[in-house]
Amino acid sequence: MNLMAQILINVIIAFLAGSLLLGFHRKVMARVQLRPGPPIIQYLLHSLKFFFKETSFPKTAAMPFYVGITVILAAVWVTAVIVGPVAQGSLMIIFGVYAIHKIVEHNAGSSSGSPYGKLSCVRAVFSAAGELPLFAVIAIIFLLTGTMDISGIIAYQAANGPLVLQLPLAAIMFFTLIVTKSPYSPFAITKGKEIISGFETEHFGMLRGYIMFSESIAWYILLWLFLTIFFGPISVVGYLIGMIVICIITGFINATTPMLNPNHSVMAQISIAVICTVGSIIMIII
Amino acid sequence: MLIESLGGDLMGTIPLGDIVLYLNPLHIFLFVTILVFTALIAMSRTETQVEAMFGSLDENKVAVGKKEFKHRRFLAIICGIATAGAMITGDLFNFTLFMALIGIVNIGIVSAVKQVEVLNSAYQYGLIAMMCGLPLFGGAAMILAATGTLSLIELATIPASPMMIFCALVMLIGVCGESGIAPFFASKAEMFRTPGSPFILIIHLSSLFIIVRFVEILLTIL
Repeated sequence: MNLMAQILINVIIAFLAGSLLLGFHRKVMARVQLRPGPPIIQYLLHSLKFFFKETSFPKTAAMPFYVGITVILAAVWVTAVIVGPVAQGSLMIIFGVYAIHKIVEHNAGSSSGSPYGKLSCVRAVFSAAGELPLFAVIAIIFLLTGTMDISGIIAYQAANGPLVLQLPLAAIMFFTLIVTKSPYSPFAITKGKEIISGFETEHFGMLRGYIMFSESIAWYILLWLFLTIFFGPISVVGYLIGMIVICIITGFINATTPMLNPNHSVMAQISIAVICTVGSIIMIII
Repeated sequence: MLIESLGGDLMGTIPLGDIVLYLNPLHIFLFVTILVFTALIAMSRTETQVEAMFGSLDENKVAVGKKEFKHRRFLAIICGIATAGAMITGDLFNFTLFMALIGIVNIGIVSAVKQVEVLNSAYQYGLIAMMCGLPLFGGAAMILAATGTLSLIELATIPASPMMIFCALVMLIGVCGESGIAPFFASKAEMFRTPGSPFILIIHLSSLFIIVRFVEILLTIL
């Protein structure tokens, strides 16, 4: 198939599947809390709606930076789709995409001039300190498989079995990262309700649409990565079942766990990262 | 380790004596992104922080003055260029130099701010960055002593010895301190409370990109 067509189809799949999975995640949380919850399609409708709403800009915003940062967020997650599902390229590039996502969380908040955004911005610095060590799980995978290429990791698993059985602690690390990025997570300190919507508070209309579009793709890519690098070559049905199961598990966790304060959140993430990294390296050596 | 197995297939090399610059998709992605951000910073104005005052209907506005703006924008652009250099360098010593420059410029970007908490934080970060300069340069120097080269493309072909692993870990301590990541993040977080979002971005961006690149370098050496 033509490369451009492949990219377009994969981006559309990532957006639609990501939106529906986020809607499903919210539905699971609602059912656990004995509420009916919004329809599964609600997140997708919200995302599309924002693209057609009037966009207003705060007088205090750092222009054009305030606009550019959301466009960059959408662009880097489209890059992640190209590097991941389309080209099955290097995990290092997706690590870079994730780093930029943290930058956007940081600066979408601070560029508006709102105190809520600013608090979210400072928290994003804390959370990056905890989340990036979790993403360092890719280094452990490299030490075992000898490659960062997603296609190489799939080939390794086809020959040696799924990595989840060989590196269970590394899988826990990555799963913690997924929990962190899920909506209403105990680790989601940048979007705590006490700071309204955190870094998204002052982004309206199309800008919010870009952020929601990016979040859908980010959620899809994180789940796709987890299933690909820990469960090996699986079919489309396998991906679908895996993604739904992960949404149910994270939904249960988030529905029953209060949000941690920033220090506890970061220290919990770093503790999990250190224990699982050391444990995984010992398992590789043994 | 093979360089191709980390950041993707090699797209080209530029041999400069024993230092060989090499480009792969990861380097290009990081390099282009940092240049886009630097251009955006160069053309952006800063935000005005607005807070409601307690006990009255007034607002407290904090903005960046013109002189301070020019000073910080200049340093932010230097920081962006230094980070872009660190993304594509093929030499370990150049990487440490770029890293040290980023650390110094990061302090400079917030040193013009007239807020005591922010200056205190910058001072503490400066102390950590200075202390971590020793393991950063020391690690690179010991790698040179152990292998006879600082070229990453050469280091990738040399099997990792216990001394190289030790040196890489010493460098890791240096990079963690210089970039202000965990466990040193507490010394840096307060710096982000100051207005001037585009300039603050480059501090955070340079730290995160340096970590991404150093993970690649670490795995290349090991």
